[in-house]
Amino acid sequence: MISYEESRLPVRADIVQAHNVAWGRLARAGSWLDGKTRVAIAAETRHAPQCELCRRRKEALSPYSIAGQHDSLGTLPERIVEQIHRIVSDPGRLTRKWFDGVIAFGTSDVEYVEIVGVIATVVSIDTFCRAIGMPPSALPDPMPGEPHRRRPRTAHQRGEAWVPMIHPKDLEGDLDTEEEKALAKYWGGVLANIRRALSLVPEEAYAWFQLVETQYLPGKWMRDFSQEFRAITHAQIELIAGRVSVLNQCFY
Amino acid sequence: MLRESSKTTGENYDLTVLTGRTGDGNIRHGALLVAFADAVLGSDDARLAGIRSEIRTKVGDAALIDAAAIVATFNAIDRVADSTGIQIEESKAEATADFRTALGINAFAENRGEITDPRSRIAPTR
Repeated sequence: MISYEESRLPVRADIVQAHNVAWGRLARAGSWLDGKTRVAIAAETRHAPQCELCRRRKEALSPYSIAGQHDSLGTLPERIVEQIHRIVSDPGRLTRKWFDGVIAFGTSDVEYVEIVGVIATVVSIDTFCRAIGMPPSALPDPMPGEPHRRRPRTAHQRGEAWVPMIHPKDLEGDLDTEEEKALAKYWGGVLANIRRALSLVPEEAYAWFQLVETQYLPGKWMRDFSQEFRAITHAQIELIAGRVSVLNQCFY
Repeated sequence: MLRESSKTTGENYDLTVLTGRTGDGNIRHGALLVAFADAVLGSDDARLAGIRSEIRTKVGDAALIDAAAIVATFNAIDRVADSTGIQIEESKAEATADFRTALGINAFAENRGEITDPRSRIAPTR
């Protein structure tokens, strides 16, 4: 269980709750990965910054010019370690060719997206801890259970991303899975690509944005400049967001 | 969103603070909040502790929490965007074309062999 009581800072209750919900999800079977694998991915996400190969690649003019083996915890296949370490260490220089290589080595597109969801959860919550001066929370123990392995038939490759995504219009008709139905209820209307990025695995898309909306702002508040909803203003929020994205060399 | 906020509120924010220009960018405590983002993503723990303390004194504890939550969100959301290869939406590309060029942000996409504007529909080179 995540607690920030030791920080003696007024961490909002909704943040504490959202972090605990996200942490609990890490431990349970997801759509394509079991709890043990998801927690192993979380652990490898934390371990990636200590990788010597990643350090050398980060310093190189092109990360693709440096070969070698990652320093990993040894619990996951190398293809998954490569995905985790590159996304953690050097996300701004990922390319379509690199993505195609990860898929060619045997990671399915749905597994890839679920792994991204796990990485994002751990990076986000660990970053919060660092920002407020707390050590990272202990990872949860994996829970038993099998993934349901239901692929949404509404997800398509339209050239808007490397991964197939669901478009809101796809959710207007009859839907096969509970996950798509939940997404349809949650979405509604035209959505930015970032909200759709993980939609090939609807549960990850939904869960990830529950965390985002708690830490950042719900959609309806984002563009309501007539009032402020946090202890910092819209402008201060977007200044921080923009600066972080520049540091990460994120074009989107 | 910062630009949208600037237009809506009538404030004239200086977006060059995003790419390294010193100053507040006409945003209250702007320099301090940029320094906070830099320190959280950096590795100097002592510097981060100092900036954290300065935010608590000048802006308040609740502001520190909310600022931390924003850094936490975008440090991860950038990775979601970059690892899934999502393109910028056409409407957003049109609305931001001038300042993306001015701030040099297009280079982030060009360095990845990605197109910077989906309206151009030019096949990526890599």
